[in-house]
Amino acid sequence: MSLRRFLISFPIFFIVFLLQEAVITQMRLPAGGINLLLIVALIWAALSTPEIGVLTGFGAGLLMDLSQTSPGPMGHWTLVLIVACYAIAFLGYGDDNIRGNPINIVFLVTIGVVAAQAVFLVLGLMLGQEIGSFTNVLFVLAGSAFWTAIISPLILKVISFFHANIFGMRTRI
Amino acid sequence: MRYGGDNRGRLLIIVLLVTSLFLITLDLRGVQVIDGLRTGTQTALTPIQKAGSWVVSPVRNFLSDVTHLGRTRNQMEKLKSENEKLRLALQNRQTADAQLKQLKGVLNLAGTAGYKVVNAKVISQGSSTSFTQTLTIDAGTSSGVHTNMTVLSGYGLVGVVKYAYPNSALVQLASDPAFKIGARIAGSQQIGILSGQGTRKGVLQLLDNTTQIRKGDALLARGSQNGRPFVPGVPIGEVTSVDNSPGAVTQTADVKFYTNFSTLGVVAVVVSGASADPRDALVPPKPRPTPLPTVTIYASPSAVEPTPTATPTPKIK
Repeated sequence: MSLRRFLISFPIFFIVFLLQEAVITQMRLPAGGINLLLIVALIWAALSTPEIGVLTGFGAGLLMDLSQTSPGPMGHWTLVLIVACYAIAFLGYGDDNIRGNPINIVFLVTIGVVAAQAVFLVLGLMLGQEIGSFTNVLFVLAGSAFWTAIISPLILKVISFFHANIFGMRTRI
Repeated sequence: MRYGGDNRGRLLIIVLLVTSLFLITLDLRGVQVIDGLRTGTQTALTPIQKAGSWVVSPVRNFLSDVTHLGRTRNQMEKLKSENEKLRLALQNRQTADAQLKQLKGVLNLAGTAGYKVVNAKVISQGSSTSFTQTLTIDAGTSSGVHTNMTVLSGYGLVGVVKYAYPNSALVQLASDPAFKIGARIAGSQQIGILSGQGTRKGVLQLLDNTTQIRKGDALLARGSQNGRPFVPGVPIGEVTSVDNSPGAVTQTADVKFYTNFSTLGVVAVVVSGASADPRDALVPPKPRPTPLPTVTIYASPSAVEPTPTATPTPKIK
């Protein structure tokens, strides 16, 4: 049942992926820009059960790995997002103080984005990738946190609406 | 109530984690299916990215104007004084003019060196949230662009073609942290290795510690065998500072790239190098200082000299 509902949500993630690749990467936003797919996946996971969170991380991670700008091997983002989405879903599941409060979700997602990117970076280092100067890494991470904190509240309502329609009304904020 | 998890949930997590590790292993071992997936995705995405580039360009221009507001303020003041119709026409043609200027620069550079190039438009800039510096161009294998080809702008080196798809190609910028190029200093011919740092600044590591390097020295590409990935003689950047720490094993220097990677609109891919090494022919001329008029005043004999006047001395009683 959950898996069927998860498959219904796949077109949403695919559209977000297309938006990310065709529109957002063209904007050339300062401070590293927005990783919309990562933000949407983490918000979706924060509203879901841990099982759905893990599946969300897997699906979104695969899409991010398919992106031509992904520097790592196939499965790199998938591994990171499975862990990140599970952690976010686990923290939020059954705790109405977190899931019922949009500010908490935005905070959780912002921390999640930075943490996911940091883990991605560490994993990349272990796989032999170059990461550049430390100041540049800090700048990109700070920029990601900034953009996530800006974008998350704007799209939270929309994602919550789709999530509630697919998985039930209880998760609507 | 906190989620404790059940066996089914745990099994799902383990299966998905193992799957992702399996994918990483396959990719690192160079399995063709994985490469084919990315190539297929990029081929399918190229027309969408082109459409996206067309749709987003007004927004992008607006954002660019906002971020460069301080620099363009004077220009904006001049434009305000102009005719309204002319100003609108100018704004509409701004993007095309900038691309034309870049194209002219690229063709001048390539023509001087004798490179055979394929021009391409930048259709997408890679997300730096993945800690890479890339861009996508609208020319691919169907235009003769292949992997490991040098990419130029009007100012010099842009990067190297990392992946080539039928109608597009992914270019690894020289600022990418994983980018490395053999470089030589124009004039003195000292050689070293230049690495990207994620910004417009690169780090040059000289191979010979006894040689001298100075601020302002121009760097050129040494070139590779058969001109791939790098053709010789391409201007890279200029030395901005030198680290002469005593006791250091190698001498390093900071280098500022000639190309501004954030404003690239048109680039050229070198599909065939020059028949002869252009050597230092492509080094950009140093800017000439503008002469300041100096005013020298000479005292002429005809000038009226002030006559000394007697100062009354106070009487002491």
